[in-house]
Amino acid sequence: MSALPVERPRSMRPAPGDEALAAAFAAKERWAFDEAYARFGRLLYSTAYHVLGNAEDAQDCVHDALTRVWRSPESYTRSRGAIRSFLTVCVRNEAITRLRAKTRRRKLEERVAAEPQEYDELGADDVIEHDRLRAALRTLPPEQRRPLELAYFEYKTHVEIARELSEPLGTIKSRIALGLRKLGAVLGASE
Amino acid sequence: MTDHLGELAALYALGMLDPAEQRAADGHLAHCDACRRLLAQAESDVTAMAAAQAPVDPPLRFLVPKPAPAGRRNSAWLAAAAAVLIAVLPAGYLLQVNLSMHQDMAADAQAIARVATSPHRTATFVGADARVMYAPDGSWYCIVIRGASAPLHVLWPHDGTTTMLGTAVPHGDIALLYLPKSHRMEQLTLMQGDREVGQAQLVF
Repeated sequence: MSALPVERPRSMRPAPGDEALAAAFAAKERWAFDEAYARFGRLLYSTAYHVLGNAEDAQDCVHDALTRVWRSPESYTRSRGAIRSFLTVCVRNEAITRLRAKTRRRKLEERVAAEPQEYDELGADDVIEHDRLRAALRTLPPEQRRPLELAYFEYKTHVEIARELSEPLGTIKSRIALGLRKLGAVLGASE
Repeated sequence: MTDHLGELAALYALGMLDPAEQRAADGHLAHCDACRRLLAQAESDVTAMAAAQAPVDPPLRFLVPKPAPAGRRNSAWLAAAAAVLIAVLPAGYLLQVNLSMHQDMAADAQAIARVATSPHRTATFVGADARVMYAPDGSWYCIVIRGASAPLHVLWPHDGTTTMLGTAVPHGDIALLYLPKSHRMEQLTLMQGDREVGQAQLVF
């Protein structure tokens, strides 16, 4: 009988670099999905959880976002940047979409019931008060920090933020873009 | 959108664009390298924010790699195994009152759930259109045989003896046998009647 190819156990294989993983993910190599799940799963889950405040919703959100990315042929190409950032933003945006839909449903139900109910979807606020992100945000000037906080923690659109802060829309867009880049630099985001 | 993204890249990465704005941005990104780079930077910045938040640990089972939804490896075999369930379960649940049949179906359902959600390896049977998917620790084995027209016995040759493990009964032209076990079996044999039709070597 001919010798069968021996598959080395996963733990004995060298971990592929980010470049190799990104190329394989773009090429829809099956192992790349598993590797991305194993390598970034914790960050993706944590990101979804901070938005949704619920373990089950966070898991569903991560799985659905990754599944959609994987099934969509043109969703990720190498020119789109680092796979970690791409997936994190996909998951976060999916979580925000779900939260907005949930909020819309809740408002509708409240109107129908005509008696507002207590809503505890964002139980993570007490946790994030103490994290590294809050500390980094304090390094920004207030006019950049506030719009970025409203965008990141309260998921408001630029139109809503402009209205709330009584500033022109263009000003808000500029401040968010500037604040985000400064904050990324403070936090050591890759460039 | 024909204009470059500019500041919209940050809003895109922060999930602030409405669906129409997002579609327009995606259309532009499809053919603009400079804006893809700009967006990649903004995504990197947002990811740095996410990573700087207090981490929330997922449940342990979440960290088990899930299978690729459109993956290449095994997908046809999983589909074949799932087809058995689709074909058998509704009629079976409606018509069967036999307890052992219910146990068989429960075992099949368990097989698919295990294969679909756990890390596993695959070995091909030489001589038959069949595969065994199995847990790296030998805790379960799922044998799928395609084009089966008659029941096939699965045996484990070891230590100078042979143990009969079970029989894979065809549903349509697919036969499936799920075996929860507690040990590693390095060789499996398929028998039709008293004739050997396939052999697989398993690597642990």
